[in-house]
Amino acid sequence: MANSSAKPLIRRHAEIGIFLIGAVLIVIFASTSDGRWANLYNIGTILQVTATLGLMSLGVALVIGTGEIDISVGSTFGMGALAYLWLAAQVDPAIAAVAAVLVGAAIGLFNGLLVTRTGTPSLIITLGTLMIFRGIAIALTEGFSFSIPYAARKGWTYFVLGGGDFLGFNTALYWLTTLTVILLVALKATPFGNRLLAVGGSAESAHSRGVRVDRIKLSAFVLCGMLAGFAGTLEAGKLGFADGSMGRLMELQAIASCVLGGCLLAGGRISLPGALMGAFVLSSIQSYLVVTGVRPQWFILVLGLIVVLAAYGDRSLRQWALRK
Amino acid sequence: MANSNPLIQVKNLDLHFGAFHALKNVSVDFHAGEMIGLVGDNGAGKTTLIRVLCGIYAPTSGEVFFDGNKVEKFHPKLAIDQGIETIQQSVGLCDNLSIARNFYLGREPVKRVLGIPFLDMGKMREKSTRVIRQFGLRANVSADDEVERLSGGERQSVKIGRAVEFKNRVVIMDEPTNHLSVREREHVNELAVQLKEQGLLVIYITHDIFQVHKLADRIVIMENGEKVADATTDSMTAEELEEVIRQGGRVVEKREAV
Repeated sequence: MANSSAKPLIRRHAEIGIFLIGAVLIVIFASTSDGRWANLYNIGTILQVTATLGLMSLGVALVIGTGEIDISVGSTFGMGALAYLWLAAQVDPAIAAVAAVLVGAAIGLFNGLLVTRTGTPSLIITLGTLMIFRGIAIALTEGFSFSIPYAARKGWTYFVLGGGDFLGFNTALYWLTTLTVILLVALKATPFGNRLLAVGGSAESAHSRGVRVDRIKLSAFVLCGMLAGFAGTLEAGKLGFADGSMGRLMELQAIASCVLGGCLLAGGRISLPGALMGAFVLSSIQSYLVVTGVRPQWFILVLGLIVVLAAYGDRSLRQWALRK
Repeated sequence: MANSNPLIQVKNLDLHFGAFHALKNVSVDFHAGEMIGLVGDNGAGKTTLIRVLCGIYAPTSGEVFFDGNKVEKFHPKLAIDQGIETIQQSVGLCDNLSIARNFYLGREPVKRVLGIPFLDMGKMREKSTRVIRQFGLRANVSADDEVERLSGGERQSVKIGRAVEFKNRVVIMDEPTNHLSVREREHVNELAVQLKEQGLLVIYITHDIFQVHKLADRIVIMENGEKVADATTDSMTAEELEEVIRQGGRVVEKREAV
């Protein structure tokens, strides 16, 4: 029977739920939007948003994999964007991007050290740093926005860092693809990945096998910060400007992407393709609401409702799969 | 055996967890090629003591010497690198990882490509498959299955198989025969004796004084975080030792006073 072969597959691959939901939503969106949603230009836009949100989600997924959480990524994203724009006006965008990634790494290190050294739950630590770095971002911009003069938007490094399209898609998408492949390999095929998942599965057992649990957690936070900083860079490259509110609430979308994508908040079980699909679904919903002209006041509400429904659908599917 | 230098020497070890005094002035020597039965009631400090030896806890005060060298830093990684393998009771396996991945956790074999270490999954599968067959796990269990699927006995077998497979100097077994069937239990006990005969130090923790008395060369009894008895198995019978445990070590205190 089809059921009996599908169940173990769904049990093993928690991300199947989000792929099914994604497929259903694509059909619904395409058939109810009169071609305004399903056209190459709009899909390109969705994929650009997916790319930046997806990079953040990958980082959050790694942290979730160790059994911790990072909700400060929205602010890290904003700090990365500001660092990039501020420097790109003065030096080559490539150097500015490296600096933005380093800013992200520093925030990740700060989070990671606070979590591992003090033993305080990462939820509250990163809630604090979410506010701290948002505050810094707002203070830095003083209500204005950072932007790059058009003259500085000509070089190829600017183009490569989210500032242009290649084969019809924003260059951010190629970064996302490359980094996803690298992270997937690192997670599945290296000792680091093995230990990262072991820490999330049982930190005590991992410790007893000689795994340096704190170091693994710290590196996950640093990677997460770097990815968020880089995502901010790509978004800033796309827009050419940013203000202090850049990336606000994106941390929640990134976490939602991970959870919808089958990452277990308790740690040890994550799916990077699932998290990306989660990011794609969220950006698709946003885009659908925009192209169908839902009034902006209702936007967040409807988005939230769809997320709740998608999460419920995903959970029902998994519970069905667990039943005999 | 007792004449040679001890492989592990514990001197005046104290360990506090906050206000709780878990180990009280424990001193004990362990020699290579010896099997020690570490016995005591629940909460006697057996597991705490071996968790210091395998690096999970650092003592509050006191010294541990390994092979004549003072141990300065306590971390499981260092202990494992020194050849101290521990079969813990409740920890040691991550449910979310496959048997092969658990088997090599913390010391994964790698193949380097352009300097990047990639897991040598072939080797990991091959070795762990051999061990799970040796230990008679169900035929449909493969090295790629997650540990979550295994029964208590199967988990224990994986842990013991892992301890035996690597070249070690010390094997510490914390209640190794819990959850095991009679046949599996015999197998584990045979393995413990074999390891000892190969010249390893084996520390065998159990409640069952009668079982370990047959296997061990020496019995160390703990009570309330203190060592209350330390006797070779040919000097005291299992019944006498059981009486010591039943009296909570009081018999021994009298003897020491004499």
